[in-house]
Amino acid sequence: MEGAFSYAPAIAAFPLVAFVVALAFGKWLPKKGAIPGIAATAASLLFSLWMLVAVASGETYHETLYEWTAGEAASEVGADGIAFSFGLLIDPLSALMLVIVSLVAFLVHVFSLGYMNAEGETGLPRYYAGLGLFTFSMLAFVYADNLLMAFMFFELVGLCSYLLIGFWFRTRSAPSAAKKAFLVTRFGDYFFLIGVVAIAATFGTLQFAGDQSFVAAAETAIDDGATLFGFDAETWVTITGLLVLGGVLGKSAQFPFHTWLPDAMEGPTTVSALIHAATMVAAGVYLVARMFGYYALSPTALAIIAFVGGFTALFAATMGVVKDDIKQVLAYSTISQYGYMMLGLGVGGYVAGVFHLMNHAFFKALLFLGAGAVIILMHHEQDMWKMGGLKDKAPVTYWTFLAGALALAGIIPFSGFWSKDEILYDAIIVGLEEPVILAAYAMGLVAVFFTGFYTFRMVFLTFHGEPRSEAAEDPHPVGWSVKFPLIVLGLLALVAGVANLAPVAKLANVDITFLEHWLDGEYGAIEGLTYGAYGELLAYETGVIGTEQQTVLIAAGLSLLLAFSGAGLAWKLYNAPEPVAHKERLGSAGTVVEDNYYQDEYQVWLAEGVTLPLARVADRFDQTVIDGLVNGVSSASLFSSSWVKRIQTGIVTNYAALIVAGFVALLLGLGLYGGWF
Amino acid sequence: MAIYELPQWAALGPALLLAATALMLFLFDSISPRSTNRSLLAGTAAAGSLASLAVAVWFTAAGVGTPTAEGGRGVIDPTHGFVVDQLALYFMIVVAIVTALIVVASYDYLVDHAYQAEYYSLVILAATGMSLMAAADSLVTIFIALELASLPSYALVAILKDNRGSVEAGLKYFLIGALSSAIFVYGISLVYGATGHLELSAIAEVITDGEADPYGGLLGLGLLMLIGGVAFKTASVPFHFWAPEAYEGAPAPISAFLSSASKAAGFVIAFRIFTEAFPLGEIGAVIGFDWTVAFIVLAIVTMTLGNFAAATQDNVKRMLAYSSIGHAGYALIGLAGLTVDGGELVMGAAMMHLLVYGFMNTGAFLFVALAEHWGVGRTFEDYNGLSAQAPVACAAMAVFLFSLAGIPPFGGFFSKYFLFVGAIEAAAANMAMLVVAAALVVNSALSLYYYSRLVKALWIEEPPATRDRLAQPTGIYAAIVVAAVMTIVILPGFGPVVDAAIGAAEAVVG
Repeated sequence: MEGAFSYAPAIAAFPLVAFVVALAFGKWLPKKGAIPGIAATAASLLFSLWMLVAVASGETYHETLYEWTAGEAASEVGADGIAFSFGLLIDPLSALMLVIVSLVAFLVHVFSLGYMNAEGETGLPRYYAGLGLFTFSMLAFVYADNLLMAFMFFELVGLCSYLLIGFWFRTRSAPSAAKKAFLVTRFGDYFFLIGVVAIAATFGTLQFAGDQSFVAAAETAIDDGATLFGFDAETWVTITGLLVLGGVLGKSAQFPFHTWLPDAMEGPTTVSALIHAATMVAAGVYLVARMFGYYALSPTALAIIAFVGGFTALFAATMGVVKDDIKQVLAYSTISQYGYMMLGLGVGGYVAGVFHLMNHAFFKALLFLGAGAVIILMHHEQDMWKMGGLKDKAPVTYWTFLAGALALAGIIPFSGFWSKDEILYDAIIVGLEEPVILAAYAMGLVAVFFTGFYTFRMVFLTFHGEPRSEAAEDPHPVGWSVKFPLIVLGLLALVAGVANLAPVAKLANVDITFLEHWLDGEYGAIEGLTYGAYGELLAYETGVIGTEQQTVLIAAGLSLLLAFSGAGLAWKLYNAPEPVAHKERLGSAGTVVEDNYYQDEYQVWLAEGVTLPLARVADRFDQTVIDGLVNGVSSASLFSSSWVKRIQTGIVTNYAALIVAGFVALLLGLGLYGGWF
Repeated sequence: MAIYELPQWAALGPALLLAATALMLFLFDSISPRSTNRSLLAGTAAAGSLASLAVAVWFTAAGVGTPTAEGGRGVIDPTHGFVVDQLALYFMIVVAIVTALIVVASYDYLVDHAYQAEYYSLVILAATGMSLMAAADSLVTIFIALELASLPSYALVAILKDNRGSVEAGLKYFLIGALSSAIFVYGISLVYGATGHLELSAIAEVITDGEADPYGGLLGLGLLMLIGGVAFKTASVPFHFWAPEAYEGAPAPISAFLSSASKAAGFVIAFRIFTEAFPLGEIGAVIGFDWTVAFIVLAIVTMTLGNFAAATQDNVKRMLAYSSIGHAGYALIGLAGLTVDGGELVMGAAMMHLLVYGFMNTGAFLFVALAEHWGVGRTFEDYNGLSAQAPVACAAMAVFLFSLAGIPPFGGFFSKYFLFVGAIEAAAANMAMLVVAAALVVNSALSLYYYSRLVKALWIEEPPATRDRLAQPTGIYAAIVVAAVMTIVILPGFGPVVDAAIGAAEAVVG
């Protein structure tokens, strides 16, 4: 396994090549660029699996590949110099994520054959080039070994999502949604950038791992009780951590930056699958996991992460309840699920957060691709009220979608249950000691009910009952390129939970928490980047209700009960041959929820009511004061220029007089200066 | 390394070759006075200037002027009153380059001209004078070399005898030149009176020994008058009045010659006189102020006046004339920024600027020569849309103009940048240099305005409907293209140029 890692750069390079090929030659290729894309992502997947095996056999990789600049730097503590470099970091976390990303990207590429090519879309080379670049950026982001490189590819991911969300740029809504996604995430990334600069200026390094990492430097600074930029070290770590968190909240669509994500449904459904499951949105949470050691140093930052996560989980789940568009429901479920991951990471549940990230990648990709299949079946109709009865006509789509739905709703034994339960368990044991976390836990728990409800409302409306439109009566058939990814992901949604059956392990006292061991570095890891090392940094106290086993049972039982009651309510309300809308019963609360709590409205107000006038004032200042100054200088110059021109009379005696006068003036001036007189 | 040692006097080779070429041209003219064999005449002149260039480059490469401690041959004293060091060779190279360029360009410009042989021999004689100015190190030889450069120049400006502008310009140039020469030679006599010497090193010795202390006022007046003479040659305020008229009236290649080579020669005597004869610090003790003060004032006033006057000109040649005054102001920074402990960086920067300027300014004036050859007119409007018909020449012109304005990546940017850095560095010793640096920036910004106006006329404006096909004269085109290429490639070659210039500056300052 020694040589495996020298091939690591190829993992990201394959999709980059596919991007170039699709862009340059896509027009003449038989499937307009799909084949190179599929081949590249398949190769990336194989190589990623190889890396996984290599890490499993105890190897890790941390290498600087290219240093583009280095120099002296007066950092606050530590190093005298700073180097900006590209490097790779392959440890259990990044190896796992590489596999997830390349697998989802591969399946999305395959699915696109059925979703895009078969539907006769135009601009396919652009589409596949976008997918290739997207995959490349995300893979490079995943195994970046320093924060700056991560930031650069983080931005590239944002750019790619902009390009792909706006794929159908001839419509009115798609370009606007793309711009919104770009601007909102950019707003968060602005803080991220400041955070990167602050961390670089403080510690003189941006490395994630090793003795030279900013995590280690921050730990030393806190231990030494150093003062950084006038703050004590822990406060400063909190501040910089929260700045970086700005980018995370934007990308992972956490409150209050979640507004771009539902609009992003304007992109092709395959793109949504990629964005939600493995790339754009996952990037944010992954970044928190990547620099978890840094956040672990700051209880404040962690509590904020947990609270925002719990709040977002509930907040988004309630909005998902009233949506009619199948993709909109999924969009809100994504926001909500990433809220869970943030909650998990925020309470110190590193394993739980990563576990849910993995499971979510599988079942959310499945649900989106399933929704894509439904959209093909329905001749591009997305309103669930016009569907119904697809269960019998498209069994593969139905059963795989159902598997994804069960996982999403957190029904035992599907994968989503295990990871969500673990997050909630981690939250409650900390919450018993920390009231803030308890509140976050409570919100997460309530959200389980809503999740069960909206998920099964979606399933029943789409697949059950009688067909409610002509399209639903006579669905368009789907091919193998659609079914294959669904089946793969459906199986994963069912069984991925086996990776970490923590409750079973605790109750039956057997050692089957594989993922925990994996992330704890039992196979191979880089020192300091393990679950155990993070655990030592965490300042959380944990408590139990009765014994540990009882706590596990209570937590799991509560969340299962809520999930089942949500699903059951949906079954009661919507599993009818002719379901009717129940929104009116919600009254004014329903209106507020349907309008997404007026989040868009206040953000638009912020843009139009605050930013725009401010920009106008700045513009006016620019137009009048700055331009006036510049224009004034130029007209003064031109005026004096014409005056200077007038000295040149053309009469040579004047010149002689002026020369002598000028010389005498110089003589007198310098004579006075030199003290001659 | 030479196989056998050349005699000492051969160190003046670059100047002597030019003199020999001039004599050959005279000889040819005496044998066949009515000859219009342009190829032969221009060829001889070009060969002579290129030979001069080659010898100067060879001497530099062979280590003439490089201190013996560094493996060179040391400064060579060919004969009384002359010295050949790095500074001399550097400026001989500049002069030879400009001479070669304008001689080649004149081949086409002088079609149907009556005084072919006279023209070339006068150009080469003037070049001889300039080349000798680079090597002269006594006030007498300096003055004689200066007159050798000036007198043919007057005739050259007026050589278009049927053109009123040319004749008038020649006369004005001559009158102002006579006045300036008078002031200069009077300055020499005062300095001689105060120190009893004409050789620069001997003057410095007297001043250092304090023997000139009783004659401080006399020496100061003489020094100021020397500055006046130098200011005339470099077209600096207040002795600049001749320049716009002479450049505008003269044939365009001669304008290029005067504004590039003649100016560079003026600067070399300035560098030599003031650094060698009047050591900073000691001179301040004698006359009450260091001469850098005078150059600070002159630099600021000259660059400001030149650029401001250029801003609103309608006539392209006149605009270039004023811009040439502005560039004299930039080069004066090289003297203004000198300090007691050195300043080779700022002086080296000024020398680099003069070399780059030798390409870009010569090229710009040669483009005007091309326009005059075409007969398209003299104003900005007349140049409208020339790029449609002569893209290569117009591209070269854009290079010259942007380089003159100091836009990267052209040579003019780097020399100006070094000047700026040098000025800032000198500000540590003399705060007034900050004003000079600020003036440099402001004036460069202003210059971009009028240079880009011309680029706009060439490239963006629509050409007038009634313009005949434009010829493509080989000689002018060749000179313009060479100048443009050099303006660009001097950037990669800037390392050696920097070394040469700084080395030459070190030799006289340090």
